[in-house]
Amino acid sequence: MSHNVKILPGATVCEDCTLEGDITIGGGTVIHPRVTIIAEGGPIIIAEYCIIEEYSTIIHKKSDKQENPPKPLFIGAHNVFEVGCKLESPCGHIGESNVFECRSFVGEEVKIGSGCVIGAACRLTAPQTLADNTVIWGSDHHIREALEKQPSQLLQLDFLSKVMPNYHRLRKPNVHKRQPSTRQSTEPSPKP
Amino acid sequence: MELPDTYYNKSEYVETASGNKVSRQTVLCGSQNIVLHGKVIVQSDAIIRGDLANVKTGRFCIISKGSVIRPPFKKFSKGVAFFPLQMGDHVFVGEHTVVNAAVVGSYVYIGKNVVIGRRCVLKDCCMIEDNSVLPAETVVPSFARYSGSPAKLISTLPEAMPDLMTEFTKSYYQHFLPTTVQ
Amino acid sequence: MAYLTQPDYVKYICSCGQLKPITSLYFCRHCLKIRCGFCICHEVDSHYCANCLENMPSSEARLKKNRCSSCFDCPSCFHTLSTRATTQQRQVLQDPAAGGDTKVESKQPKKMYYLSCFNCRWTSRDVGIPDQPVASGGWPERTNPHAARVNQLIDYYKAIAQQEKQEKIERERKKFNIRGKYITLTDKTGLTGAMARNIAGLPSSESSSSAIANFVPSVATAEVDELPEDIFTKEVNLNQITSMPQRLASPDWQPVSVSRLHPLAKLLSVKRSQRCRACDHNLTKPEYNPGSIKFKIELLAYYHVPEVKIISHEPVKPGEKTALFLKLTNPTGHEMQLRLLQPEDIPPPEEKEEPKSIDKSLERSLVLEKDTTAFKAIERQPNISATSRVTSPGVTLTLAQRDDAAEYDDDAQHDTNDIILWRKSNKLGVRLELDTSAEAVGGSPARALVALQYSYRNTVPPAPSAAACRDHTLYTTLLLDLGTVSSN
Repeated sequence: MSHNVKILPGATVCEDCTLEGDITIGGGTVIHPRVTIIAEGGPIIIAEYCIIEEYSTIIHKKSDKQENPPKPLFIGAHNVFEVGCKLESPCGHIGESNVFECRSFVGEEVKIGSGCVIGAACRLTAPQTLADNTVIWGSDHHIREALEKQPSQLLQLDFLSKVMPNYHRLRKPNVHKRQPSTRQSTEPSPKP
Repeated sequence: MELPDTYYNKSEYVETASGNKVSRQTVLCGSQNIVLHGKVIVQSDAIIRGDLANVKTGRFCIISKGSVIRPPFKKFSKGVAFFPLQMGDHVFVGEHTVVNAAVVGSYVYIGKNVVIGRRCVLKDCCMIEDNSVLPAETVVPSFARYSGSPAKLISTLPEAMPDLMTEFTKSYYQHFLPTTVQ
Repeated sequence: MAYLTQPDYVKYICSCGQLKPITSLYFCRHCLKIRCGFCICHEVDSHYCANCLENMPSSEARLKKNRCSSCFDCPSCFHTLSTRATTQQRQVLQDPAAGGDTKVESKQPKKMYYLSCFNCRWTSRDVGIPDQPVASGGWPERTNPHAARVNQLIDYYKAIAQQEKQEKIERERKKFNIRGKYITLTDKTGLTGAMARNIAGLPSSESSSSAIANFVPSVATAEVDELPEDIFTKEVNLNQITSMPQRLASPDWQPVSVSRLHPLAKLLSVKRSQRCRACDHNLTKPEYNPGSIKFKIELLAYYHVPEVKIISHEPVKPGEKTALFLKLTNPTGHEMQLRLLQPEDIPPPEEKEEPKSIDKSLERSLVLEKDTTAFKAIERQPNISATSRVTSPGVTLTLAQRDDAAEYDDDAQHDTNDIILWRKSNKLGVRLELDTSAEAVGGSPARALVALQYSYRNTVPPAPSAAACRDHTLYTTLLLDLGTVSSN
């Protein structure tokens, strides 16, 4: 296990997962067992209140035209990575409140805004930029624009962070926030 | 053709008194909440999430490699509840398939690389073909054969489907043998 | 489907000449013949919604245009819509004159429902359909602006069809009059034409003629609205325009813009029963309950005809003898005698005229409009060329009856017979020889025809008139797919 994994207080990270490289996991985020996060091309920063389910893979790939120092891959808050999804994006930024459905694939050079849904088993390989609230679904990769952002998963996170410690061995938070955050996962956050 | 024998490493699998054969390479979370009703095969790298809610399978179920059986959740105004996942007898779940269904009936065939969305209801005698995606809350009626993404009804199944599935799962179990120790 | 996920290696020849796997064949116990989906009658038993599993009487289904009243499909991706609940602070429209305190109790949060699609995230709010206070039903129905005209047209064509039917009947009657010899049913029973029409459920002739008389044909007009000014200059937003399938899903509106998409009522499914065309007996009849997978009548070939499966075979080589291993299964509850024959050894079926009962012919004559040619069972033999022959062993194999308890003692008996490999309750493994003709071209599909002679005990309680014969010798031909002929 790498020593560069920083887990902020309030995060629930299962021991049975592969974390390699410089990774920061924000408070309130839940990482289920058998998740693979590899930061080989630069650091990965996962913000607060994300859910990363079983067999999800997030890789920050090495590339030739890399800047020095390497740009971090920043994953915004409230993102949901469902079972078996794969993200290999060195593109730096993924917005907030996106849903990566089961077995979806997001390749390199795909920029993702906020409130997007990558449908189950959809594969995004070509370089593209998804505008906010884009929904992609089906084998033909139909695209439509949702009216509103995807609802937050705070209630699920609340449940998971309560239940998971009873069944799983967890990695302990090893970083303490410099300043006490107003958003602590233990207190139920109001639904936006 | 007849099903070929599938051999497994004897030291990898645990066989229970009721005939369940479970690989040691699986992730059975909250195993006290998982009920396998006998003669069930759970192959390596399968995940059953009993920690979220109860998971019950019937007899002669086959959970193939790398599949994920995960009780679905539903949001209510006061919080989230995970529903128990029930599976009938003679169910086949293909490799790398994700099952988020609420109910899977008996005599159900789910192919490989399939995604069964949250709270789907698969009635008795139905078939989901390989690489299909069933969006959340779909009801698959009996004798239906679904395929595609999103999965749609493509044809019906023969009336003898219960007997076909019974024969298939039973012979799979019979052909699932430990490698003979030299 | 006999192998579930594999191709159908063994196909049976149906009495109508179709080649089908055993799982899609039926067996009529009254004709003692194999039938398939193409040579039987399909009848609608009941309508139900596949989503809510609610039964609907056929008259109601017709009225609702075969659509469910509580389930909807997404107009954007055609997946089933789910009902979502939200709590909403009810906005009380207060009349200042009525005073504030009378409506205080209605201020509590109220559950409101909207429709949402989990596949493409479409919601009924996207198109401005107001949320509903009840979970199911009550969704606003749109009426087509041309509904009246469409109904008028339907009435008109119905009337014309009626009139033509009437004329046909008249013509038939005239034909009978020319023959003169026979008494028609109406003469015999004293039915008048009006009464007959009443019985048949047809409307009286007066109303139909009025519908024809009052009909106004459509008039083409040259005046068409001008195209909007900016039609060629305005930028097109493809996300706002509906796709062809979306438009065709609601043919009466054909919305152009996505903001006009409305939920589509879900189409109903049916339970069907199947009937033999030759003897009118039911072959399958499902239970009424939509969730049930059981059948009241289930005469499948899978339960009556011996099943043949290929265990394995040696590569088929031209001009050589290769081994073929088959598994034979007796699905019936009686012992079965089985012989493998050459297809040309099957004796031609005996032609026997069935004595027609008087009830039946009377029943037939009552069905005035029934076109009998459509219900006739045609039997023919397909013309199949096979590359290989299966040498008939010339022995009769005995298959034990099916025994559900026998599966627990699973040690197979190994006979030392040169044909029988093993025996296991009602199953039998046989080794046969395959004789491939020297002309077979390498790479071409290898196929072999085999005929089966098997004994069958009919368990139908014999009709008083029928002979007491319960044991029959039946024949069936099947085609084995053996891959391709190897080239050397």
